[in-house]
Amino acid sequence: MVNDTTGISRRQFLKATAAGVAIGLAGDPLRGFAAEEVDLAVISGEPAAATRKALEAIGGMSRFVKKGQRVVIKPNMSFAKTPDFAATTHPLVVAAVAQACIDAGAREVLVLDHTLQRAELCLERTGIRDACKTLPGVHVLAMKDRKFFQEIRIPQGKVLDKVEVLRDILDSVLISVPVAKSHSATGVSLGLKGLMGLIWDRESFHYRFNINQGIADLATAIKPALTVLDATRAMTTGGPGGPGDVKKPNLIVAGADPVAVDSYGVGIVPWYGRNFNGRQVEHLLIAHQRGLGKIDVEKLKITKGAA
Amino acid sequence: MKKTIQALSLLLFTALFILATYRLPDWLPADIYLRIDPLIGINAVIASREIIARVLWSLLLVGATLAVGRFFCAYLCPLGASIDGLDHLFFRKVKRSELKRDESLRRWKYALLTVTIVAALTGVSLVYFLDPIAFLTRFYTFVLDPLVIAILNLLLDLIRPVSQGLGWVGLSHLTYAQPVYYMTAVTLMIFGAVIALSRLAPRFWCRYLCPLGAFLSLLSPLGVFKRRVSEACNRCMACKKGCPMGAIDEDPLKTRLPECIQCRACAGICPEKAISFPAVYSGIGEYSRPDITRRGFVASLAGGLGFGFVGLQTPFTLLEGKRQLIRPPGAIPETEFLRTCIRCGECMKSCVTNTLQPCFWESGMTGLWTPKLEPRMAACEPNCHVCGKVCPTQAIRSLSLEEKTHARIGTAILKKESCLVWAQNKMCLICDEICPYNAIVFRPIDGYRRPVVIASRCNGCGYCEQRCPVKGESAIVVVTDGEIRLKEGSYVAEAKKLNLEFMPDPGDDKFVIEESGFKVDSEAQKEEKPPPADKPAQQKPKGFL
Repeated sequence: MVNDTTGISRRQFLKATAAGVAIGLAGDPLRGFAAEEVDLAVISGEPAAATRKALEAIGGMSRFVKKGQRVVIKPNMSFAKTPDFAATTHPLVVAAVAQACIDAGAREVLVLDHTLQRAELCLERTGIRDACKTLPGVHVLAMKDRKFFQEIRIPQGKVLDKVEVLRDILDSVLISVPVAKSHSATGVSLGLKGLMGLIWDRESFHYRFNINQGIADLATAIKPALTVLDATRAMTTGGPGGPGDVKKPNLIVAGADPVAVDSYGVGIVPWYGRNFNGRQVEHLLIAHQRGLGKIDVEKLKITKGAA
Repeated sequence: MKKTIQALSLLLFTALFILATYRLPDWLPADIYLRIDPLIGINAVIASREIIARVLWSLLLVGATLAVGRFFCAYLCPLGASIDGLDHLFFRKVKRSELKRDESLRRWKYALLTVTIVAALTGVSLVYFLDPIAFLTRFYTFVLDPLVIAILNLLLDLIRPVSQGLGWVGLSHLTYAQPVYYMTAVTLMIFGAVIALSRLAPRFWCRYLCPLGAFLSLLSPLGVFKRRVSEACNRCMACKKGCPMGAIDEDPLKTRLPECIQCRACAGICPEKAISFPAVYSGIGEYSRPDITRRGFVASLAGGLGFGFVGLQTPFTLLEGKRQLIRPPGAIPETEFLRTCIRCGECMKSCVTNTLQPCFWESGMTGLWTPKLEPRMAACEPNCHVCGKVCPTQAIRSLSLEEKTHARIGTAILKKESCLVWAQNKMCLICDEICPYNAIVFRPIDGYRRPVVIASRCNGCGYCEQRCPVKGESAIVVVTDGEIRLKEGSYVAEAKKLNLEFMPDPGDDKFVIEESGFKVDSEAQKEEKPPPADKPAQQKPKGFL
């Protein structure tokens, strides 16, 4: 164990547990090394516990967040819907990720989204603000004003050469915490599609160009350090706003490669009643082809476990 | 003490106004000032020819005035407090001599009271224009609230560099949604005029114009507390000069009881301490005929009838049922609505999305300031039902969320000639994505998947119209067709009768599409007959390859 801070017995216990599971599943005696090497951690269980364990299994939050850094967490809280609709990220998942950032020494954690519905309603109904209320240094904010956005260039963009993004992500570590849901335009809405919540003009993606190309373009410029996919519930039809058919895979998928996380997420449940893989999702395939991440799940190193 | 009570009352009024948001708890009557206003109550009841339960609250004020006198104006009226406060601010140093026409001006308020009541008899609601509580609420809604938010945001922007530098995250990201309204300028001008009139005489409005004051004046002489002047009076006339209401006669021993608001300014001024306000029960003994001439009365009768005539004898009246105005969910049928609504603006203030906007001339003179939806700007939020909760006359009925969901305000219609998918074969589905009721589905038509509105699922919330990316007029608009306006009874039951279904339901949104995207080849199209929801498994959902 590298962790030499004392008094955090639960954390150490979890680490040990995660290590045990990792050993048990991967047969690897050195968890630390394993964590460096795995692409994904897939943990089943209750939202908070599974999230904590997934973060440990992927190498601990300290792998992504250094002491004194500022973190922006991007959950999906675009809709004023309660968690059971699966249109938004589970509040306990967001809180667990935020807590891990604080534990890793983050200076402050901003939980941000450019919501589709009224900001205060979204913060309220999704439960995310409440869940983070007691965490010191964590701020949950819905950004609905253009003054908080700043234009950036997208040098590798094919259809998008510039875009206005939330200014806060420019000097922060970005952690994407999407919910798994279907999407009537992009098939699924996972991590990469979720990044659209960081830009000002969301609408133009739908009519100015191919939205899938646009999402890939965006992914070349906005790169989350870590993606934690909340598949504790998955809205398999009716997305993105719902209401839709909600399944309960009870999974958390964490990984540094946003394409890999999403690609794994595609296989978790049947979407619109059919099974798909990552290569069948247009925006994931484009992102993969442009070198933004691995798409073939069978080639990924995955740590699986239960919390 | 009077000033303290006034300030507290204004504060309470302001606090209730601020609390009138979608978060308003059911037990809190944010519209209580409007409810206890008997002038509003009488007019709404007369104009609508209905007993309105909330109006019964006004009996409180009627009773209190019968018992005590016209104290409301001096102590409780928030407009009175505003006028006094602004008077102190602007006209403190102005020397105001008594108006020559004081005597006849004072009759104006009775004339205006008569005009509004007669207009109400003809079925035209006019009280909103002059009732002080409705008037002030309107000013708060359309002017003060947006102004305060604008100033707050300006200040926040000014200190933002500092708050950012200091790392105050909450403050550096804080901004308030700016409410915007039509009619802000008009409302401000009228309020400004009322305040400016105080330049001529203190409380010009209350003395000469306020019809609520006039109404309370009619009851006031029956009250218990009355001004009494002892023999110590040396006729210095200081009290007469100091009376803000001009309630003291040429003979300082006499009081014009209907005018006296019991502010007791005279008692404070009197150098001989000759004035007191003892409790004297004299029944109708001191009741004087209201200060109104026969000519004036006849003229105001004619005025009220005249208003009724010009208000109603216009094509607007005949067009009421066909009009394109989207009213708030739960608004009673249009004719009754126009008669009952007192245009206080409380519904528009509390509207969480700011979609409720005041009308100007869209439905004629009788529709001024009535609320309508502006769906191109914002939608009616499915989770909110506050507009009915705060409506003091229940022109918008207070409904449970479920009832409100079924109080259909209109139906979306798709304009194929401007829809990006219909007209230009573009890939757009924003309306489908945002619709909270799955009322928009895509069907293969002419070799392409195109959006179609399922009218029986649409309750007219307007999200589609708001978000449609077509510039200018939306390609999908909410029209009043299909609106449900009930004076009483359940909207859920009515919607069931009409086979409408607004319950969130995943069923019809199994929006499936071929590999070719929106395009559908003609073979497949033949096979697949709408609704496509029946066999969704054959095609791949949009976005999958």
